[in-house]
Amino acid sequence: MAEEKKQPRIGVFVCHCGTNIAGTIDVESVKDYAATLPNVIVADDYQYMCSTPGQAKIIDAIKDHDLTGIVVAACTPRLHEPTFRTATKEGGLNPFRFEMANIRDQNSWVHMHDPEGATAKAKDAIRIAAAKASLLEDLYPKSVPVEHAAMVVGAGVGGIQAALDLANAGIKTYLVEKNPTVGGRMSQLDKTFPTLDCSQCILTPKMVDVGRHPNIELHTYTEVESVDGYIGNFDITLRKKARGVMSQDEATAKGIVGGGCNGCGDCAAACPVIKPNPFEFGMAPRKAIYIFHPQVVPLVYTIDFDACVKCGLCVEACGEKKAIDLEMTDTFETVKVGTVILSTGYDMFEIEKKREWGYKQFDNVITSLEFERLICASGPTGGHLIRPSDGETPMKVAFVLCAGSRDNTGVGKPYCSRFCCMYSLKHAHQIMEKIPGCQPYIFYMDIRSFGKMYEEFYYRIQNEGAKFIRGRVANVLEDAKTKNLHVYAEDTLLGRPVDLEVDMVVLAAAVQPTENIDPVRKMFGVSCSQDGWMLEAHPKLNPCGTTTAGVFLAGVCQGPKDIPDTVAQAEGAASAASIPIHTGKVELEPYFAQCLEEKCAGCGMCISQCPYSALDLIEKDGKQVMHVTEAKCKGCGTCGGFCPGGAIYMQHFTTPQIVAQIDAFLLGGEQ
Amino acid sequence: MAKGYNDPAMEEKFQDRYFHATTESNPEFIKEVERLGRTPAHMCFQCGTCTGSCPSAPRSSYRIRKFMRRAVLGLEREALTDPDLWLCTTCYSCSDRCPRDIAPTDVIMAMRNLAFKEDIVPRNFLKTIQLIYNTGHGVPNNDVNRAARVKLGLEAEPETTHKYPEFIPGIQKILDHYHMKENADRILSEGEQ
Repeated sequence: MAEEKKQPRIGVFVCHCGTNIAGTIDVESVKDYAATLPNVIVADDYQYMCSTPGQAKIIDAIKDHDLTGIVVAACTPRLHEPTFRTATKEGGLNPFRFEMANIRDQNSWVHMHDPEGATAKAKDAIRIAAAKASLLEDLYPKSVPVEHAAMVVGAGVGGIQAALDLANAGIKTYLVEKNPTVGGRMSQLDKTFPTLDCSQCILTPKMVDVGRHPNIELHTYTEVESVDGYIGNFDITLRKKARGVMSQDEATAKGIVGGGCNGCGDCAAACPVIKPNPFEFGMAPRKAIYIFHPQVVPLVYTIDFDACVKCGLCVEACGEKKAIDLEMTDTFETVKVGTVILSTGYDMFEIEKKREWGYKQFDNVITSLEFERLICASGPTGGHLIRPSDGETPMKVAFVLCAGSRDNTGVGKPYCSRFCCMYSLKHAHQIMEKIPGCQPYIFYMDIRSFGKMYEEFYYRIQNEGAKFIRGRVANVLEDAKTKNLHVYAEDTLLGRPVDLEVDMVVLAAAVQPTENIDPVRKMFGVSCSQDGWMLEAHPKLNPCGTTTAGVFLAGVCQGPKDIPDTVAQAEGAASAASIPIHTGKVELEPYFAQCLEEKCAGCGMCISQCPYSALDLIEKDGKQVMHVTEAKCKGCGTCGGFCPGGAIYMQHFTTPQIVAQIDAFLLGGEQ
Repeated sequence: MAKGYNDPAMEEKFQDRYFHATTESNPEFIKEVERLGRTPAHMCFQCGTCTGSCPSAPRSSYRIRKFMRRAVLGLEREALTDPDLWLCTTCYSCSDRCPRDIAPTDVIMAMRNLAFKEDIVPRNFLKTIQLIYNTGHGVPNNDVNRAARVKLGLEAEPETTHKYPEFIPGIQKILDHYHMKENADRILSEGEQ
């Protein structure tokens, strides 16, 4: 900024973007107009400015005309700002001497049917951009070092995969899971479509791997308490919930030689308290000291202190191992990581809210996840599908698809939950396989079998004899005597209403973001879509990233996904999260706020305005002044617009630059 | 019956049954239905929840989903001349359950209004108009009812226009404003010729 000020010399380049721009806007007249603007030395146009010859025009013009600023009127900064910045730099200018006028997305596309108006608007946009370009300053990106560690929050199949990838890339990885075991939703499933692999069989090797990988520090029964810092330097405090039982490592650390939980289960046998097991949706009992299922990782028992009566029988049963500590309390640990992957998963929609389907009113109406546990060999019935009302084997089962999904009434969810079609096909297969003569009826609106080998799976199930009825279920009523269910719908292909008496109804309930996930989401500064799913930075070009630098998403927390998609996105997120760690530093766009300390009154009103917690007050020369943590600042300008003393200076969006833009627009180019 | 040729019944079956979108459909029809019904009928995705919920459907040929389809496609003639249009009991079950948050009942009501403009109304509906005009009731009180009411310790006539006939002119004024009685009388008398 200390360089000598010379008269601005601006070059303007107008892009045709094929017919995207030139089809609506008269590029020739826009270019001629640009040449007449103050400070504009050269104006040119080209078919595709982003092409190599287009960029060469910029590079040559800077050298030939000794330019001080570049304006490209083209698509959007999101698409090609980096391209043209690079060209500006190659021409010998500071890359931040470049300004873009968006005459495609914000002009030719939206005013497609008004060529004259669009051309006039393009002229306005270029005039405004040129006015700002005249006042642009040289800016230099700063870089911050990145901690050589990463954190993955949520240890379902997505979190496990991401953690393994990071760890295998040589990065120290903290895997945090709120439940006592890793595995997530996938460990509750019986089989996976379309290959019919046993879900646990393909998941447990990965669960075991994360349990013993030298680069993974596994924190189960642990929640994120607070998050501080920014990309490269996150300080994350973990709350290790009181488990009541020590692992063998923890016992060794406490000097109990040969002690700690070895998973023998003597404690659970002794425990007198019986509670429903949430892993089995309450369909099986567990003790107050418990594990969810035999394959848990880590194999350490957990005490449910809400249920425990502290009788001490378990302590006695544990004996010499001395693993149990009934007085254990929550402990806290702060770790430093460079990047974070969130993979917090999903919950089932409370389908009882759709009263017409009778869930929780009628015994024999169950959800698909309950079905998974009932059909699973390690489930509460040992894999025998039974009617909850009388334990009989059902011979006719109706599957209700889109239960709460694709529902705009405000009670349900407007989106498609994506995997219900496929798992319902799988369920239909399973009942036909396990119960000879059992007839599945699948009530569907559309079968969405979009994946690799999925349509073939649909064909197979249809061939096996599943009956498909195209129509959404309107109503389910119970025969009070037999507890059979009447399913009412219209067979829309037949054009006739259907009253189908079945033994059991399985609701393919919609999925929704994990309960109470918002505090975690907010701690990491990740926004959410209207439906509550975590919001990716760009749905197509940056599906793993978020608007918070260094925080990435994997799996269903970003939106409904099946296992292949979740794993694929987890690997993508792991790759994205490892880049800054391997680079060792991150470069920050120099758009941050600056405090003009002589003007700052130290009122601190900007601090609460900042959505990124980038500001705080520090003591300097005996007075309080605002201080910007540049790595956290996104340059949104909220503080600068709010500051009552005008003490905040927004780099690249300075007050003189913005005033020049407004003047250029209102005064039509006259200064 | 031989091969069916020259047989009027078979000739009827051999007719062209294609849907000719360009000639059969009236694009203004859906706009008019939505203007009167105040519900986004064109958002229907044909799941059939409406018919599945309908108490009329299992006992009649009435399929509300098909009327929704006719609205979307602009099949004005087919919708307005179908006698099933008048089988809806307006219980609103379909509107309660529609996953697209459309009110199919209001689509039917809009179509009935459009049909009435073209004099397509079943006779019993027209007679109901006459009854309301004359007595203030669609189903007026009768002697059986009166006897039953007295037996239950009620007055013979309920607290309506039966007891206060002075309010009938008010009702007639409303109906006159829309020419309801006038049109009903005319259509009924034309039917008798």
